[in-house]
Amino acid sequence: MTRTTNKRINWILPAVLAVSVVLAFFISLFVGSSKMSLADSIAALAHRSTPAYERIIWNIRLPRVLAALIAGAGLAVAGLIMQTCLGNVMASPSTLGVSNAAVFGANLSLIALSGGFLTLGTNATDAVRQADPFAVSAIAFIFAIASVLLVLALCRLRSFSPNTVILAGVAIGAIWTAATTILQYHATDVGLSAAVIWSFGDLGRATYTQDYIMLAVVGACSIVFFALSWRFNALLGGDEAAHAVGVNVRLLRLVGLLLSSLITAVCVSFLGIIGFVGIICPHIVKRIVGSNHCISIPSTLLLGCLLLLVTDTVSRSVGGGTALPVGAITSLLGAPFFLAMLFTAKERG
Amino acid sequence: MLEIRDLTFGYNKNKPVLNHLSLELPEGKIGVLLGKNGAGKSTLFRCLLGLTKCSGSIVFEGKDLAKMKRIDRAKTIAYVPQQIHFGDLTVYDCVMVARLAHFGLAAGSEDRRVVDQVLLDMGLYDLRNENVSRLSGGERQKVAIARALAQEAKLLVFDEPTGNLDVSNEQLFYRLIKDVAAKRNLTILVAVHNLQFALSIGDVYYMMIDGKVRYSGDAGVVNADTIRDVYGIQAKIIKINGINHVIYGGISHEQNT
Repeated sequence: MTRTTNKRINWILPAVLAVSVVLAFFISLFVGSSKMSLADSIAALAHRSTPAYERIIWNIRLPRVLAALIAGAGLAVAGLIMQTCLGNVMASPSTLGVSNAAVFGANLSLIALSGGFLTLGTNATDAVRQADPFAVSAIAFIFAIASVLLVLALCRLRSFSPNTVILAGVAIGAIWTAATTILQYHATDVGLSAAVIWSFGDLGRATYTQDYIMLAVVGACSIVFFALSWRFNALLGGDEAAHAVGVNVRLLRLVGLLLSSLITAVCVSFLGIIGFVGIICPHIVKRIVGSNHCISIPSTLLLGCLLLLVTDTVSRSVGGGTALPVGAITSLLGAPFFLAMLFTAKERG
Repeated sequence: MLEIRDLTFGYNKNKPVLNHLSLELPEGKIGVLLGKNGAGKSTLFRCLLGLTKCSGSIVFEGKDLAKMKRIDRAKTIAYVPQQIHFGDLTVYDCVMVARLAHFGLAAGSEDRRVVDQVLLDMGLYDLRNENVSRLSGGERQKVAIARALAQEAKLLVFDEPTGNLDVSNEQLFYRLIKDVAAKRNLTILVAVHNLQFALSIGDVYYMMIDGKVRYSGDAGVVNADTIRDVYGIQAKIIKINGINHVIYGGISHEQNT
């Protein structure tokens, strides 16, 4: 792989990714456990099929595929911005402990506050599905955002020094994890199962309303990130160098961390934890086109869409009628590919 | 003219890092800061950039740098740090970053024209699409100068910029600084460790001890006595073919004891 980049190659990647995302979108829409033929799927999409098929396409598959597109893009770009803001390749969308806080909030709702579902049955998966998704998600989101604000407020005392942010995120995350463990220890079997299943990333939970909310957040944040591309480029040279070219480093870092965490909080609250997208996508993109955020932000958004679409399609295809947790499939497929890339790439000159 | 008056800064009141430091650097001249590690050179640069709040005043071309907006300061003063990182960018993008204060969100045709011209001037145009992490140390240093020039600031400050360069690249670097200063009428303040190179580039010398300028003047101010006082070492300046050479001796008696 060459590390030499030029303008032509730089724009090839987003173009290829955009075409791949469109293809993957339709493949994902037409693949599922209902054994619908391609013709049936297309007819259903055009509202020219049976009501059952139309419901499958419009009410089940489309919200799920849209969730994969939006959450994949959001988590990937959140990871990229976290890595830039913290100058750390290990930074991820959850570095500020957002996911741990969201999991605690969801656990609190499902176990302690009953989430409005406990009377509905004893099957934990059904319980999660039948719980008022907004009640659980809203509480998860409130905790996630509260946690982010707490970490950032603490880090303000140290001028958002990257190491302080990372360590504060780890420490606050550990507190949420401990609190979750205590909650789960006292939970009923059903409550515990529901809470554990909630934490698995599941795109099947997504509704159109949730998709629109995620789209609004991911879209708005991505536009802000793209507008700040050159400032993020300046930050790659270190705080002093960025300041010297006119960047308000503290404000940039605050905005980057806050918006990345907001994206993560929304996605995790609605869908559960989907790991690795936020680490693997930025790394792959940076290895191919370098770190110029004008190119890497759109490329990472598109690669995130593609990765989650493909892994969700796989998770629905190999589960024998039941979709496997997409978060697990993302890591299972992504990690070996990532390792291969890491160890086969030429050493930096 | 860069006028620094009574600059004072310290983490501890009893031991200020900058102690009523004053200096004057005429427009279009190269000022060289000399002094041991910890003499306050890097802190002075941080004050110039507005990264550290100091008491006293810093005035350049009649304008108080401390009162300038961040963007205006970036158009006035460009900075090359001790450790230069660029991230995983192309040479072109590295230099374009310097135009940020001029373009705000997206580069325009004027920014591209300036960057192209600077790359041509610095002999980097053919490397413009190369990833900067693949360049040699000397080439990277050239990129650092190109970046400072693209900022179109009239005052350039370099904080010991050749720390990790070999002798030939160090010489090349200082020759480039001298050339661009003359060609573009830039005022340059540079902290230098190597006295030999320092003597070959400067117009005005400032020798610092404990956060203040102890000696200042033309190259003549750097002599055996001042070197002993500032660095605590024995040295001799010998002129061969019109060029000053520094011959180092041992650590002086006062320093040793």
